[in-house]
Amino acid sequence: MQLENLNLNYWAIAPEIITSLVGVLIMLVDAFSKRGARKPNAIISLIGLVLALISVVMLWNVGSGSFFGKMVVIDPIRIFFSITILIVSIIAVLLAEQFLRDEGLPPGEFFALIMFGTTGMLLLAAAGDLVMVFLGLEISSITTYVMAGYRRYDLRSNESSLKYFLLGSFSTAFLLYGMALVYGATKTTNIEGIRKAIETGQITYPALLLIGVAMMLVGFGFKIASAPFHLWTPDVYEGAPTIVTGFMSTAPKAAVFAAFLRVFVGGFDVPVAGIGLQLHETWISVLAAISIVTMTIGNVIAISQKNIKRMLAYSSIAHAGYVLVGFVTGDYAPVAFYMLVYSLMTIGAFAVIQLLARAGDQRTEIADYAGIGFEVPQLSFPLAIFLLSLAGIPPMAGFIGKFYVFKTAWDSGLVMRYLVVAAIINSIISVYYYLYPIVVMFFRPLAPGFVKPRVSGAAAFALILAVFGTLYLGILPNRLLNAMGRGMGGQQAQVRVINR
Amino acid sequence: MNIVTITTFLPLVGAVLLLLHSLFWSSHESSKERLDKHYRWITLIFTLLTFFASLLIVAGFDRSQAGPQLVERTPWITALGVSYFVGVDGISLWLVLLTTFLMPISILASWHIEKRVREYMLFMLVLETGMIGVFVSFDMFLFYIFFEITLIPMYFLIGVWGYDRRIYAAIKFFLYTVVGSLLMLIAIIAVYIYNGGNSFDIIEITNNIATGKTIIPDDIKFWLWLAFAFAFFIKVPLFPLHTWLPDAHVEAPTAGSIILAGILLKLGTYGLMRFNLQFFPDVSLQVAPYVMILAVISIIYGALVAMVQPDMKKLVAYSSVSHLGFVVMGIFAFTELSMQGALYQMLNHGISSGALFLCVGLLSDRRHTREISEYGGIATPMPQYSTMFTIIALSSLGLPLLNGFIGEFLILIGTFSSVVPHAKLFAVVGATGVILSSVYLLWMLQRVIFGEISKKENAGLADMDLREKFALVPMVVIAIFMGIAPMLFLRETEKSVNNVRQIVETKIQRAAK
Repeated sequence: MQLENLNLNYWAIAPEIITSLVGVLIMLVDAFSKRGARKPNAIISLIGLVLALISVVMLWNVGSGSFFGKMVVIDPIRIFFSITILIVSIIAVLLAEQFLRDEGLPPGEFFALIMFGTTGMLLLAAAGDLVMVFLGLEISSITTYVMAGYRRYDLRSNESSLKYFLLGSFSTAFLLYGMALVYGATKTTNIEGIRKAIETGQITYPALLLIGVAMMLVGFGFKIASAPFHLWTPDVYEGAPTIVTGFMSTAPKAAVFAAFLRVFVGGFDVPVAGIGLQLHETWISVLAAISIVTMTIGNVIAISQKNIKRMLAYSSIAHAGYVLVGFVTGDYAPVAFYMLVYSLMTIGAFAVIQLLARAGDQRTEIADYAGIGFEVPQLSFPLAIFLLSLAGIPPMAGFIGKFYVFKTAWDSGLVMRYLVVAAIINSIISVYYYLYPIVVMFFRPLAPGFVKPRVSGAAAFALILAVFGTLYLGILPNRLLNAMGRGMGGQQAQVRVINR
Repeated sequence: MNIVTITTFLPLVGAVLLLLHSLFWSSHESSKERLDKHYRWITLIFTLLTFFASLLIVAGFDRSQAGPQLVERTPWITALGVSYFVGVDGISLWLVLLTTFLMPISILASWHIEKRVREYMLFMLVLETGMIGVFVSFDMFLFYIFFEITLIPMYFLIGVWGYDRRIYAAIKFFLYTVVGSLLMLIAIIAVYIYNGGNSFDIIEITNNIATGKTIIPDDIKFWLWLAFAFAFFIKVPLFPLHTWLPDAHVEAPTAGSIILAGILLKLGTYGLMRFNLQFFPDVSLQVAPYVMILAVISIIYGALVAMVQPDMKKLVAYSSVSHLGFVVMGIFAFTELSMQGALYQMLNHGISSGALFLCVGLLSDRRHTREISEYGGIATPMPQYSTMFTIIALSSLGLPLLNGFIGEFLILIGTFSSVVPHAKLFAVVGATGVILSSVYLLWMLQRVIFGEISKKENAGLADMDLREKFALVPMVVIAIFMGIAPMLFLRETEKSVNNVRQIVETKIQRAAK
């Protein structure tokens, strides 16, 4: 391959360059500063993330296309998912400062890990090639394994990390094996190339392709915690430090969904006669089934949870199910919008839990929240807003997200309507358990041993950001939805709407 | 600025001011009592301002038009085709006024609340915006959002400020309503998609369906009708979906009960008129006999259960089931008289049962019990109160010259002449509900107000103070006024009600051919 054909445009990877350089910078600052001195790690990471956010928005002007030998692409999927990832990272950094100080944990590495993890996720959202997908996934996964075990003297945290690592590598192996088989079938790892190969019918062994796609489905299924690959989620989410749980249940998930979209809708979804149609019908129906099972399992098991972190873990499983409803329509906008909304409200809820739980995650049972409603309204009202938003009650953003997904699905064919009905029934079930913490917080008498938690300025700012986002996107989602709609126009070739 | 928009969001402005006040004032050296006093007055003033604003709506209303008036319309979420489209027509005009009228009274009725006054008043103001919003929305999406917004404050009002079993009642209330409204959400999405997927405009969709521009397949139509009806039947509530109501009404604080019975139940009957009749006139026509059966069961069952209640508040709560049964019967009889009567009865019920809850609240504030057997001979220590209570009870049971009579009479005459199969039978059986309602209300009056003073605690009860008079007397005056001059109200609603009726009428004529 000629060098000039590679289309080297460093602006196309500016966000990733910024985040990785800032990660390195933080490690250097940590290494060269005096022991015990206060380090400006949080501020450096914040500046880095904001710069990355600006550069992502500027990608819009670079225009869509693929770069670096089609390894990296710029398209609306990348831009919107990158924004989600960066916003979540900013909130996580804002929360991290207080978390690390309260727990007395080394502050340097944590910020570096967030930065490297963010780099991996951004690459995952930008990947135009299966190799790149794998790279991004590995970078982001390995950092989150470490973060899950960051409270290293805590057994639960270690257990969480180990479990996450073992099952995560298992699923990555599935994904990699699937990629290898797909490569064997199509003779390329480039997603666009795979699409062309299927379109023109140049498949060496059709069976190889089908098996490969199935294995990749398993791999992605693990990463987004969809049933029946969800079993690791509750334990990992419960054991990890709350802020890490909030981070890893949102940003990596959004990133994986971006890659999942690009690979499956952009690569494998070619409903031309022959192998393409067979593939299309198979993965759509499999994902539709997975979607129903995922949301049902998530919601039903969440009802019986006593620990709020476990409850939110199951809730996040259920929400993966809702997102899949949008996913099978083949339209990226509902998925991207839902992931942004979901990320805001979920990390917001985890932020409140983190602040209420205090050092060592002592108070994470729902019963511990008894009567705190009017004692700490600055925390209980945001939590109520996030939970109601997760339940899909307007005027919170969760409602618009659900509405957008359901509307798109209802619009795209009769079979999808059963999915919508199933999702609505699930939403009804979910209202019950989302209300429960609110009941406990506001309607029960105050539990003994409650100490008003300290809320640092940065954490308060993070909370305000999440609340503002949840309400803003619920009341005035117009601008974002329109931007996504406009993005669709130029991208019909890469991400198309399902044929009716 | 549009007067409807102002009326809708004035309470919300009040809520924001209240919040700002609490943020910047609480740092000053002022006692909790003083702050609470501020909160109460801010809320009262804003609800009164809202009431005056709504009077301007009435002043600007043109009764010769059937469609929405005083509209404001701007695109809101263009990607989904949602617009901010508000206005009033004959159906919603008085319901808006009822809301703004009952709110200051509810605030007065909750003047003595000491617990978390700031939050209480905040929820009240948000609730008012939600309720007005439901009535003025002419965009389905907007309607749904306001419909759901009313849910959260009410949930907190019951759950935090209610009586002993408040948690159970609050959860039950929330779950029942959410089940209904999410089913309605499916139907809203479906209607929207069938209409071309670019507008939630209720008027446009109604016209498109009526002219055959938008065709919903027959097999799906029934399910969509049912999804809407389910949401509204729960809200009304119609037998057998009424079981949340006694719990919610009884456990809610007095003001909560006034709002629940006075306004929130009307969201259901209003929705039936607005959506089920206009969008699915043919389905409504086909299922009308079955709906009427449920309505008649509600009338009789509600009245019979009310009769045996030892608790005054429960009695009034079950009487709502009975009275709302009349409203549903009137709506599904599809005659001008019955539908006008149904609309009028919604207002009457709002006034009478709101006032009844207020009366019960006044007594239980003094004695901290709502058991009928705890009272007797109240007329001696509290003559003024007893007079008001009696007038209100009489208006609720439908005594001529009081408001309740007009509504029930119109509904019964209208139903009797309806083309719906067996309508005469339903009217006759339903009419016994009028008799039953006089039985339970008069019996309660007799046991509570009249006779000898049976308990010595009751002998020293104080009569109404100024605040309570300000709350109760306007309701009594309105009840009498609405009984004497119904045409003042009915002539404003005539066009719009007839408009809805004609949509169904064309289907009746087509069925007759």
